[in-house]
Amino acid sequence: MGRLTRVLAGLLGRAAGLLPAARREWAQAVLAEAGEVPAGAGRVAWLGGGLWLVAREANMARKFVYWLGVGAVAAAAAWVVWLSWRTYPAADPLTVTDRVRVAVGAAALVVLPWAGRRRGWFGPVGGTITARLVRVAGCAAVCGLGLAVVRMDSHLFLGPHGPGPFSLPREIAALVVLGTALAALAVVKTRWADADPSVPWAVAGMAGVVIFVVVPLQALAVVYVAGILAATSRRSPVANASLAVGGIAGLAAGLATDLAFYETAGDDSYALLLLLGVVTMLFLLAALAGAAAARRLSGTGDPRDLRAARVRQGLLAGAVAGAVSGLLLTNFFALAGVVMMVIGPLAGLGGGALGGAIAADHPREARPDRMMDVGLFVFKS
Amino acid sequence: MARREEFSAQTLSVLAALCAEPQAWRHGYGIAKDTGLMSGSLYPILIRLADRGLVEARWEQEQPAGRPRRHLYRLTPGGLAAARAALAGQAPPQRDRAAAAGRAGRRRPAAEGA
Repeated sequence: MGRLTRVLAGLLGRAAGLLPAARREWAQAVLAEAGEVPAGAGRVAWLGGGLWLVAREANMARKFVYWLGVGAVAAAAAWVVWLSWRTYPAADPLTVTDRVRVAVGAAALVVLPWAGRRRGWFGPVGGTITARLVRVAGCAAVCGLGLAVVRMDSHLFLGPHGPGPFSLPREIAALVVLGTALAALAVVKTRWADADPSVPWAVAGMAGVVIFVVVPLQALAVVYVAGILAATSRRSPVANASLAVGGIAGLAAGLATDLAFYETAGDDSYALLLLLGVVTMLFLLAALAGAAAARRLSGTGDPRDLRAARVRQGLLAGAVAGAVSGLLLTNFFALAGVVMMVIGPLAGLGGGALGGAIAADHPREARPDRMMDVGLFVFKS
Repeated sequence: MARREEFSAQTLSVLAALCAEPQAWRHGYGIAKDTGLMSGSLYPILIRLADRGLVEARWEQEQPAGRPRRHLYRLTPGGLAAARAALAGQAPPQRDRAAAAGRAGRRRPAAEGA
């Protein structure tokens, strides 16, 4: 028992460091008073209560589940990399293509959180359950994209979703464009510090388009990882409600699309009609998500600013819906999914902006003070 | 009109323990003995009360011989008023509530005399 007490006291002393400074002294208080509690079961229970206090105050259950998810994503990424390296002969050009694509996606999963932690764009993760869930699930879906790519190219020997097998000049060209874009951004920020903020965005956008044309799947993987991390970071412009409704709408659209593709698999005669139907459905769901996100936003400031903020949240919720839908589809139907990974967010942006604008122009009527009618009596609080 | 504070039965027992000697600084184990609450229940209650400005906390100023400094608690003036108002609205007196808590299966710390 004495040994157990010492172990628990040591654990509590270390665990107190997990708490923010303002809370740490409470755990230290439990530890300081443990000596007053008679030795034996009572002291063990007292120290156990202190550990429970730390777990509760530090939100450890939520953090534990989150890091469990991060570990699962890391294991899945490692497995996909291993699969792309071990399954097929290195001489096959399609295999090399897979390896490059998978390696780029895995590198994005590792490098961007590290880079974002320093700069604050991609991390740390937001404090809500929604942000943590979307981050882990989104990164897992990117791993699923890697797996779909490996299976699609290597198992079925299809490969029309990119500009053909591996080409070293193309990969080098993409790296050169990327380096040039980063250098151009640095030059703009240092030499023209008071330039309009849209200039760096325009430079980044043009470079992005060129990279996407040269290496589409690699660019998509990196953009999606960056988007997931940015949308779920603490400094994200996406409100928690927008993330939640966009995610739900995207899941609904993705599952419905998966079902539609499954039912019509092998029948190419309806492909265009199906694509049109899918995009229309996504547009409508994104509009609903955008309207819901806009209505969740309240404020008492300038009505024009509030309207702009509502439209912006609607647009972001729609983009989230489109991205989730495209990513989900990719995990089941890689070829169609890759197309939807581009079309989805665009349709979602349009739908979300429309829904957000409609909701912003028709805000909820302010309710009178809380009233509760009960029979003949009216209570007002 | 001021909103009436609503407290759980456990929080009320802590308030009652602190209310018994409102000017005295109490330590956690002493409150635990009075209320029958374990540290895992008592300290979150104290934290919430301190967050709401009903309880103030400080460390013992001088280092006592043979034991670490204690963290001490007492009700603020606002906390005392809120506690008295809340306890006045309670039907069973503190002793009955502690007995009820004991019947509900809460264990007291092992010994009373420490």
